[in-house]
Amino acid sequence: MNSMSRVAAAVLLTMGTAGVAAAQERTAIKQGFELPAKSGKKILVFRPKVSVGAQSTGGLFEPNAEWTDQARKNIDAALKKRQADLGNVVLMAPEAYGDQARLVEEYTNLFDAVSQAVVTYQFFVGNRLPTKKRDNKAGVFDWSLGEGVRNLPGAKDADYALFIYNKDAFGSTGRKLLQAVALLGPGIAVKSGEHKGAAGLVDLKTGDLLWLNADFAMGGNVREPDGAEKRVGQLLEEFPGSVAEKAAAKQ
Amino acid sequence: MKRALTAACGALALVSPAWAATTAKPAPPPPPYAGVYQPKGVDEIGLWQEADEQERALANSPLVIRDEALTAYVKNVLCAAVGADRCNATRIYILREPTFNATMVPNGTMRVYSGLLLRVRSEAELAAILGHEFGHFEKRHGLQDFKAGRTASDLLAWGQVLASMSTSYNVRRSFNDLQLSVYGSFFRFNRNQEREADLVGIGYLNASSLRPQAAARVWQNLVAEFQASAVSRGLKKPRFNAIAFTATHPPEEERAAYLGELAAPEGDARDEGAERYKGALAKWLPVFLDDQIKINDFGASEYLINRLAEDGWTAPLWQARGELFRARGAPRDLVHAADFYAKAVALEPDLAEAHRGLGLSLIKTGKASEGRAALERYLKLKPDASDAPMIGMTIGSVGGTQ
Repeated sequence: MNSMSRVAAAVLLTMGTAGVAAAQERTAIKQGFELPAKSGKKILVFRPKVSVGAQSTGGLFEPNAEWTDQARKNIDAALKKRQADLGNVVLMAPEAYGDQARLVEEYTNLFDAVSQAVVTYQFFVGNRLPTKKRDNKAGVFDWSLGEGVRNLPGAKDADYALFIYNKDAFGSTGRKLLQAVALLGPGIAVKSGEHKGAAGLVDLKTGDLLWLNADFAMGGNVREPDGAEKRVGQLLEEFPGSVAEKAAAKQ
Repeated sequence: MKRALTAACGALALVSPAWAATTAKPAPPPPPYAGVYQPKGVDEIGLWQEADEQERALANSPLVIRDEALTAYVKNVLCAAVGADRCNATRIYILREPTFNATMVPNGTMRVYSGLLLRVRSEAELAAILGHEFGHFEKRHGLQDFKAGRTASDLLAWGQVLASMSTSYNVRRSFNDLQLSVYGSFFRFNRNQEREADLVGIGYLNASSLRPQAAARVWQNLVAEFQASAVSRGLKKPRFNAIAFTATHPPEEERAAYLGELAAPEGDARDEGAERYKGALAKWLPVFLDDQIKINDFGASEYLINRLAEDGWTAPLWQARGELFRARGAPRDLVHAADFYAKAVALEPDLAEAHRGLGLSLIKTGKASEGRAALERYLKLKPDASDAPMIGMTIGSVGGTQ
């Protein structure tokens, strides 16, 4: 049943979505939040959600284990390399067991749900939640996971938590061929490949979402170390406190 | 039915031919165990890794019932069906979800829903379903299904692009026909996978020490439950032999019929393990019944309770029936509910929840003083109950009427 709906969704959706993906990148920071560079704050990174594969001609996601493993390794390495630029200490979250592991799972899912809500209801105009309308007009960014984040494993020894989500579907040869034929023939725009990513910073004392960056058309080939560095750079673009990086980028 | 099967086996490249060989003979025993299977090729390795990632999340899901004894018991039933060497390829997760279902994904993660455990009545019945799910694993159905879906969507993508090049009405119509036949054959492909898994599953049962005739009964019972549900909602009797265009599984009557034929006759004398099953589920039965009642399907719940009571009414069953009637809550229901709770209390005087239900039902049917006594008894038995303050308030509010 699952697979059927996947096929139907792939066939129905992939045709018309070419134009939408254009400028889907947004960042927001909670008002009044500042993270000065070199402030020595500790940032806890939970196991990033990474999946990499190909996009079939019909638009299905074809998971690729080798690419996913490479990407995970490259992204981890790129994160470590960047911690100096972030001006803060990046800690990998400890392996959790039992109740603690369940808690991590629950908060990872909660973060996904909240960040999805931010993307859907705050980042893109035309889709406003009635309760958030005023916030949107005033440019207020006010979302929280609740104070329960204090109980996360490793939370005692850190100030902030960083969640990362990354999904890549590289267009297959068949998909690229379809794209070319569709454009040259009937003039239909078919999107080939999908590269989505999101990163968010959560205050481990209050649970407030401090910073969120979502980008549904990311660059950088995560299967290569260089590409992964570019990707992580884009994910952490405008990360509070990464002044050095910004200045460097401007030059 | 045979006609439907033959029709299903013809047509289109998507259909797997494996099902074609079976009619009326007992299902063959499984082939010798070939050793631990490892995924091969980009697609399969990718699907397994995706499933591994989902399993990581599942293992920490709040839906999973973390009862080591129950999980081990269900695993043992699977091993009894498919053999100790094969069953090590799976990890079982029991999910607290009151529907009749179990699933298997390519890497060997088996999800067993609590609704299934409530509905089957013996180890043989449970093994029939678990063996079917294991059949999906053994035959690598997840991978085939993925490939069939990819072929279907590739075909439609090209069809759509090429059809858009023409403005002719006929081309448009041909594309619509193509679309229907691709979807239709994909669903048929799914149904044939289910049939093949049924065949493999009953083959395991035939070769095991459990009674294979139990497999057909699972589906007959499900049909009876659906009928009871339809009757109580005043709906037309559902059809259990028709195949809908989008059906992912064969219809229940068809499955019951061919599973009956495929069961080895010599296995008829074997034990079903009904008593052992009852013992293993005893602790969870009240919980699963409560979940079932809360899905608000009066006919089906009443059917399930009555069937469980065929071996004799117990306090948890009377209690569940009381809850069922009180949940519907019409004054006529509350009279019955009070009666059922009273029977539960008579069998098991310390069943706190029954006193609670009894008290609340009695108060609403004009027997306030008796109701008050029952609620007081509830609070005495369970002073730390989460609703203790509310019940206390209820007692206070009916106190004045005396």
